Amino acid sequence: MMPISSMFWRIERRLLTANYGRLFVILLALGAGAAVSSALMNLQIDAKKRLTTEFRALGANVIVTPKPSNNAAPTLDQAVLSQLPREYEGRPVPAVGFLYVIGEVGKVGDSHLQPAVIAGSLGHGLMQVRPGRRTEYLANLESGPDACEVGAKAAAQLRVHAGDALQLHNQDQAASCKVFAVVSTGGPEDAQIFTNLKTAQSLAGLDGRLSLIQLSVAASPDSVKSFISSLEQHLPDASVSGIKQLAEAESRIYARITGLLTATVVLVLILTSLCVMAGMTNVAAERKNDVGLMKAIGGSVRRVVRLFLTEAILLGVGAGLVGSALGIAISIWLGKAVFGVAAEPRWIVYPVSVTLTVLVSIASAYPLRRLANIRPASVFRGEE
Amino acid sequence: MFLRLVADSFTRRPRRKILSMAALAMGMAVATAALSVSLEIGDRLATEFRSLGANLLVTPQADSLPLEIGGVDYRPANAGAYLPESDLGKLKTIFWRHNIMGFAPMMEVPVQAWSSASRGLSTPTVSGKAMLIGTWSQHSVSVPDGATYVTGIEKTNPWWHVEGNWFAENSDECVMGTELAKLWKVRVGDTVNVHASDETGWRVLKVTGILSTGGTEDNAVVAPLSIAQQLAGKPGQYRRLYISALTKPEDAFARKDPNTMTPVEYDKWYCSPYVSSIALQVSEVLRGTDVRVIRRVAEGEGNVLLRVRTLLWLVTIAALLAAALAVGASAAASVIERRTEIGLMKALGANSGLVGVLLAAEQLLLAFVGGGIGYALGIILARVLGERIFGFTPEPKLFVLLIILGLAAAVTLLGSAFPLRQASRYDPAPILRGE
Repeated sequence: MMPISSMFWRIERRLLTANYGRLFVILLALGAGAAVSSALMNLQIDAKKRLTTEFRALGANVIVTPKPSNNAAPTLDQAVLSQLPREYEGRPVPAVGFLYVIGEVGKVGDSHLQPAVIAGSLGHGLMQVRPGRRTEYLANLESGPDACEVGAKAAAQLRVHAGDALQLHNQDQAASCKVFAVVSTGGPEDAQIFTNLKTAQSLAGLDGRLSLIQLSVAASPDSVKSFISSLEQHLPDASVSGIKQLAEAESRIYARITGLLTATVVLVLILTSLCVMAGMTNVAAERKNDVGLMKAIGGSVRRVVRLFLTEAILLGVGAGLVGSALGIAISIWLGKAVFGVAAEPRWIVYPVSVTLTVLVSIASAYPLRRLANIRPASVFRGEE
Repeated sequence: MFLRLVADSFTRRPRRKILSMAALAMGMAVATAALSVSLEIGDRLATEFRSLGANLLVTPQADSLPLEIGGVDYRPANAGAYLPESDLGKLKTIFWRHNIMGFAPMMEVPVQAWSSASRGLSTPTVSGKAMLIGTWSQHSVSVPDGATYVTGIEKTNPWWHVEGNWFAENSDECVMGTELAKLWKVRVGDTVNVHASDETGWRVLKVTGILSTGGTEDNAVVAPLSIAQQLAGKPGQYRRLYISALTKPEDAFARKDPNTMTPVEYDKWYCSPYVSSIALQVSEVLRGTDVRVIRRVAEGEGNVLLRVRTLLWLVTIAALLAAALAVGASAAASVIERRTEIGLMKALGANSGLVGVLLAAEQLLLAFVGGGIGYALGIILARVLGERIFGFTPEPKLFVLLIILGLAAAVTLLGSAFPLRQASRYDPAPILRGE
């Protein structure tokens, strides 16, 4: 390795500042490429996270059920509920255990009872696991031990409203509850009555048992998969599965978005590289004399190549540092435009984007390679 | 002379021109691809999102409360109301009939079952209990206008996977849920005997596939609707209907109550493919039904669709912007390189205007040729991207070509305008001296 002298840097500085117009144009092209690609990369990471949240509006995506057996209606131990992780990847995991009982229901005072599904629930985040709109809601009744929530269709059929009392029967067991809300989901929940878990358990005569547990895990499809397999090991007596309907639609959409953004980033980088290359061809033509002179006074080819390589790297680093930072700043604003929430800057994007810009800049210095083969004598004679 | 100058500048130093042309063509190719993909993707994207499954649920209006847990109705066959299967062809006659992507009726019958393949349940006296779900796999529905339409559960529940084959319609076949098959040790090709009540007797069904859905159906037997109807003693009837419809995401207008709309508003609402207006149209042709929007699917889908569509346009704009900047930059570079030439022209008596017009003409020529090549390349690129990422091929559009040529011209001129203005102010003497 030859020592890098101060002369080297002096020449370098001259090379860079020889033509301000061109320097500006090359930096602009590289910087724009860096900005667009870093903005898109950042948005790509953010889009996944945002869409994950968006998809959680669809309700539970992981379900814990008893292991299948010949028993007609297998149940889970209620203790499983407390063994579930409260958080995953830094986000809370809403989990609600349900016990379903098919009983007979009617308004207190009505002699006619109708069969209906009574769903006893226990856990945190019922509204996340079972999203819906509460058309009637009396908050002061919610915390009572005999509070219950009625699905819209069941409420219409039973002619009950928030504040009314319901009687619940199953074989020889009976209970009553006070309706605190009417909920509309558009799903089968519209025909169900949601009570406290204890009420359903005593109606069914199944103390401490659950039919299933629903969880809403806000994570990408792959990381939900690893959540499921780790939970499965943790709970040997239960089977844990993802809701395929959501998982498949989600991963399909992610694949599309990732493909689209990656393709755009690659295209933009190729584009940048072509533009810079066009500029560099002119640079090569202009520097024939300089290189001829350098070689004539004893500069080795290696040294000359190193000079130009350093120039390309400097350009790449300069444009990359500024452009990528700008790109990330832009993506924060773009995130707001697309998802209504400012995108979080991911710091991993910055070094990746700067490195890509430097690589593009080195690749675009390809036309300078011709300079290495210049023969000083012919240049000075004006032949080349 | 003017033309000769322009022509000369292209033929004398082809290498330089080729590279700036390549940059321009590439930029315009990216712009073309981005535009063609996003112009055509709108509807296809919505189709893509139908992978979430049915968004409308039809049930009888005068019905007892469904005892539905995890997608299976536990009501006995003689409770509750049923709907006639023969009406279903009318679904393809509503205003938005082309937006009905598929539909499938369903009926559950609790059955006792035994299979000779399963050791534990090998005789009719030792049988297991299961739910038999009757539905369509590939059913041809005759539409009142004479056509037939083939649809089934695969359209409404695309996440249901069958290992083996779906049962054939109108045959004694079934698919078995994966958990149940594991429990009973039943494999594809085995037979299973089912029995619902003494009046209808036993049916022998051949298992053609193993179904995995990740839901309650994994513990059920899924058979043709006709078999479920016979077992339940309800020929030609069904209990629930799932419809998958292509809809427009709901906006503020769609959330208005149709009853409070003015006639003009109502017509507009009725003729927009909102999920609520399609629900109304369905209930108009299927009398005595209650059509409900499966809110979580409809709303979740609408939100995600809206986001992805914005994202797509944003990427398009970003690609256009990058292309414009790149092309502008290379146009600027090519003018900067020609200071000496400009100096010489001025020394020979050309005024600034003439120099500007000459260079502008050159750039425009470059823009049109490069833009044209870029458009051709972009169409190929759009095809590759469209097929790889979204599974469709965008058609070339003339109007995209016009936009691209206009954009190319505007961007090259803009890119060269600034250096050209500087060039027109050059004093020829120092330039020619090489200063």
